Amino acid sequence: MSHHIEFAGLKKVFGTGPDAVQAFGPVDLSIAEGEFISLLGPSGCGKSTLMMMTSGLLEATEGTVTIGGSQVKGPQTDIGVMFQDNTLVPWRTVRGNVELQLEMRGKSLKEFSDKIDNLLASVHLEDFADRHPYELSGGMQQRAAFCQAMVHDPKTMLLDEPLGKLDAMTRERIRSDLQRLWMQERATVIFVTHSIEEAVQLSTKVAVITPRPGTIERIIEIDLPFPRDFDVKNSPEFAAYVREIQEIFRGYGVI
Amino acid sequence: MESFDKKPMFAAMKLRLQNSWMFVAFFIGFFLVWEYSVIFFDIPLYILTPPSLIVEKGAADLDRLLYYTYVTGTEVVLGYGVAVILALPLGLAIAFSSLLKRTIYPFIVCIEMVPKIAFAPLFISWLGFGLLPKVIIVFLVCFFPIVLNAILAFSSLSEELTLFCRSTGAGVWRTFFKVRLPAALPQCFVGFKYAAINATVGAAIAEFIGSDKGLGFYIQIVTGNMRPDLAFAGIFFLTLLGLSLFGIVTLAERLLIPWHISVRRT
Repeated sequence: MSHHIEFAGLKKVFGTGPDAVQAFGPVDLSIAEGEFISLLGPSGCGKSTLMMMTSGLLEATEGTVTIGGSQVKGPQTDIGVMFQDNTLVPWRTVRGNVELQLEMRGKSLKEFSDKIDNLLASVHLEDFADRHPYELSGGMQQRAAFCQAMVHDPKTMLLDEPLGKLDAMTRERIRSDLQRLWMQERATVIFVTHSIEEAVQLSTKVAVITPRPGTIERIIEIDLPFPRDFDVKNSPEFAAYVREIQEIFRGYGVI
Repeated sequence: MESFDKKPMFAAMKLRLQNSWMFVAFFIGFFLVWEYSVIFFDIPLYILTPPSLIVEKGAADLDRLLYYTYVTGTEVVLGYGVAVILALPLGLAIAFSSLLKRTIYPFIVCIEMVPKIAFAPLFISWLGFGLLPKVIIVFLVCFFPIVLNAILAFSSLSEELTLFCRSTGAGVWRTFFKVRLPAALPQCFVGFKYAAINATVGAAIAEFIGSDKGLGFYIQIVTGNMRPDLAFAGIFFLTLLGLSLFGIVTLAERLLIPWHISVRRT
């Protein structure tokens, strides 16, 4: 069964009466299975709100989210979530933190042992499995958090600015790690970011979101080959996509 | 719990000595100044006695001091223990129940403002000179810091971790034991330590007000007899009692949350 995601007339209003703020929508969007879609927009445009509604952690005011044909009505468990502030707990090692995801779901650790090894190796953390998060740099922590978010083989991954707090150089490196992981696992990824380059580099599609209330202004298909390495990023096609998106935001006075 | 890198014991002790020699020197210097000031300024012995005499006279009265340490220790341990056993579940309940948060919580905050020790004469008039009123007073001075810190501890899980737990679909108990409880422990220990400091103070004052044994009783009686040497000996054992309780709580903290920033060694 196809595991695509559908938003239909999705809308979120915070508060009631005259104080009500329409945070997001209405939005209609269809995301195919295995797609990597970026929600790109300035802060406060409701990107995170959309993600929270997708995961069922926040109720929509109007409209529906459908994943794989069934409507989202409560917290979804077949997803991997990641936030700007990671969910690594300080009392567990890197490996223990990845295992926490499985333990919370009552899954057998033995069965996933190889999977954990592979995941950690693919983000260059194999030598840090027994370290605690506070012994790691910010970038290493986020890579560990990626492993935690995807160890249970979720069909859908929701990443809410997971690179937001990292410095530019570390971001660059982790982007390629993330891309490789996605190419391996081929989960459907919804990625929230406010970096145009990041969105163009990682995504199959970029949903450009304009603020107040947040709505999807345009969906741009990024037709560039994967993996998008240094050469692709320096290509004129890449630059053209970036410019196209910049124009949209400039038209809205965002930049 | 995962094991943490431990330096060889001997090297660690050497390092600690290197870091603390100044404190040790100050400590010794303090007692030397005290000792010779009493002689130099010709202070009468019924006002202040030199440390050497405190040790000598205290040693002569050791049996009584040890027995009273046991008496006061019992009050402290019982009062503290009951406070931990009752305050922790109550704090947990208040953190998760909006009804309790609106009823009992403001009440507890109000009571916290009242100096608990002011109740001591009342409890002694109600319950007599025995063990029970002292245990109740120790309990009172320990209970509130533990409850208030427990409430804070159990209601301050980060937004992200809360969402993470919900997204895994884990039940209440699993979420509690795997995430909420370990995350709350550091803040709980703030309360445990604060209460441990309060405990001996509470016991001593309760004994001042009305008792026929215990270190507080001892200090009061010997001071009345113009024996500051014995009073200091009593204070020494009271301090030892307080330090022991605090030491045990700190040790428990090290064992239970070796990962926390307040505990881990770099």
